[in-house]
Amino acid sequence: MTHTQKRIIINNVIMTLSTLSAVIGMAFLFWILGVLVINGIDALNWNIFSQVGAPPGYEESGLKHALIGQLYIVGVATFAGVPLGIMAGTYLSEYGQKSKLAEIIRDISDIMMSAPSIVIGAFVYAIVVMPMGHFSAWAGSIALSIIMLPIILRTTDDMLQLVPSTLREAAFALGAPKYKVIIQVVYRGAKVGILTGVLLGVARVAGETAPLLFTSFNDNFLNTNMNEPMASLTVTMFNYATSPYEDWQKLGWAAAFILSMFILGLNIIARVFLMKKRIK
Amino acid sequence: MATIIDIQQEKALQVKNFEFTYAGADAPSIKKLDMPIAKNAITALIGPSGCGKTTLLRSFNRIHDLYPGNKYEGEILFNERNILTSKEDLISLRIKIGMIFQKPTAFPMSIYDNVAYGMRLQGIKNKTELNDRVEKALKDAAIWKEVKDRLKHDANGLSGGQQQRLCIARAIAVEPEVLLFDEPTSALDPISTAGIEELVVELKERVSIIIVTHNMQQAARVSDYTGFMYLGELIELGRTEEMFVTPREKLTEEYITGKFG
Ligand SMILES: Nc1ncnc2c1ncn2[C@@H]1O[C@H](COP(=O)(O)OP(=O)(O)O)[C@@H](O)[C@H]1O
Ligand SMILES: [Mg+2]
Repeated sequence: MTHTQKRIIINNVIMTLSTLSAVIGMAFLFWILGVLVINGIDALNWNIFSQVGAPPGYEESGLKHALIGQLYIVGVATFAGVPLGIMAGTYLSEYGQKSKLAEIIRDISDIMMSAPSIVIGAFVYAIVVMPMGHFSAWAGSIALSIIMLPIILRTTDDMLQLVPSTLREAAFALGAPKYKVIIQVVYRGAKVGILTGVLLGVARVAGETAPLLFTSFNDNFLNTNMNEPMASLTVTMFNYATSPYEDWQKLGWAAAFILSMFILGLNIIARVFLMKKRIK
Repeated sequence: MATIIDIQQEKALQVKNFEFTYAGADAPSIKKLDMPIAKNAITALIGPSGCGKTTLLRSFNRIHDLYPGNKYEGEILFNERNILTSKEDLISLRIKIGMIFQKPTAFPMSIYDNVAYGMRLQGIKNKTELNDRVEKALKDAAIWKEVKDRLKHDANGLSGGQQQRLCIARAIAVEPEVLLFDEPTSALDPISTAGIEELVVELKERVSIIIVTHNMQQAARVSDYTGFMYLGELIELGRTEEMFVTPREKLTEEYITGKFG
């Protein structure tokens, strides 16, 4: 066997193996999506959106409480986490730059990003739920915003740094003060990137269950008081799916489907933004 | 010692015993430099790469101050005042001394907003005044005809040469006294380059211009005075037509005859 023949065989073996692995990976993805779509669509009906949770056996049962709870918890978390993350990222890129403090914050933020979310949930349980004496939607939002913070902070930092420094210099050279350079020129240049970071951050926390089990807990009825426990899609899904009742399990599938589509949608929008940015 | 001719006209800027040291550098990048800059004339700065042309140019509007730790010594006189003191109001200095960069720096906003940017910074809000001055600046920068129908379009849709003229329009819209150009045509094609050169020559009626260029023909074509820099020093400053024909310094002669660079 010549050298070339040997190389061709090795080449083919490796190509076959890697293609096979890719196919196996894809197969699982489509299997999951397939099961989800089939069971999810089957479970969907108007009641899901118009009715709150009911005991097993009731016809008029839905996820309205969990959908609205989800919007409240994630909405408040976004409201707190996004400005904080963008401002912190702005500090890193525009003020701290390569300073020691900035580098330390970047390191801590990277560590936070890989911290298991259940640890963040336990932390918020200790500092918010315990002193308050009960579960609350506030605590859930705080936990989610803590998880969101490092993602938004780092994307903001990275995206602002991608704005060429000559653009900043050109604004300064026209007599602009620093805050106007940042708001009017740098943010504009990085707008798409920051928005993508925000979408990915929201998508990431929208699927969290563990930190909510410790904080916002659950409620089978519609509640819009942030001081009290509140239903979320993820925790509701967990409870319904693990229950022995068939109609509850169906609701669990519906919750899983809606949540997945929401997160998939956010990811697709983020990708479209990124693609548009690259084309430019 | 450097040969610096006596400029027989009013001066826009006067550099005196100037030294500049970058943060963390152990030696100054500009050493004991003296140089008059003529008013309403074009002064070209030439010299081999790394000789300090950009460094000197960026001292005139103190853009070096954006990065901590850079150090100026000596004086740069502008309207009889040393602009290197810590008391200097950098915002009003930069309104009077504008800058055009090597690569076009169109802001990510519309053509109109780009040109209006400096005026709005100065608090001009009146729509008619803004419209008039944007139009005038674009006309003066010889780009009005090309953009008048798409003032609201994104400035990044323009070609490189158009963007550079837009940046010139943006700079002259605030009516500066001095304009600093750092190799403004090095990223452009020959036709755009010729357009920018023509524009620079026209502008000298209203502003004093300093232009850094690595292209000696460009210096010869556009400038009234040429300064030759080498290793952070000004070797020779003379009238352009004299300096390219009869340089007084041996180094200048070697450089313009292409013996090094
Ligand atoms: N940001 C910087 N920090 C430290 N040294 C620099 C910096 N920029 C330029 N220099 C140095 O200063 C000298 C002059 O550079 P520059 O003014 O850019 O030259 P030119 O524009 O003539 O090519 C060079 O030796 C260069 O290495
Ligand atoms: Mg240079």
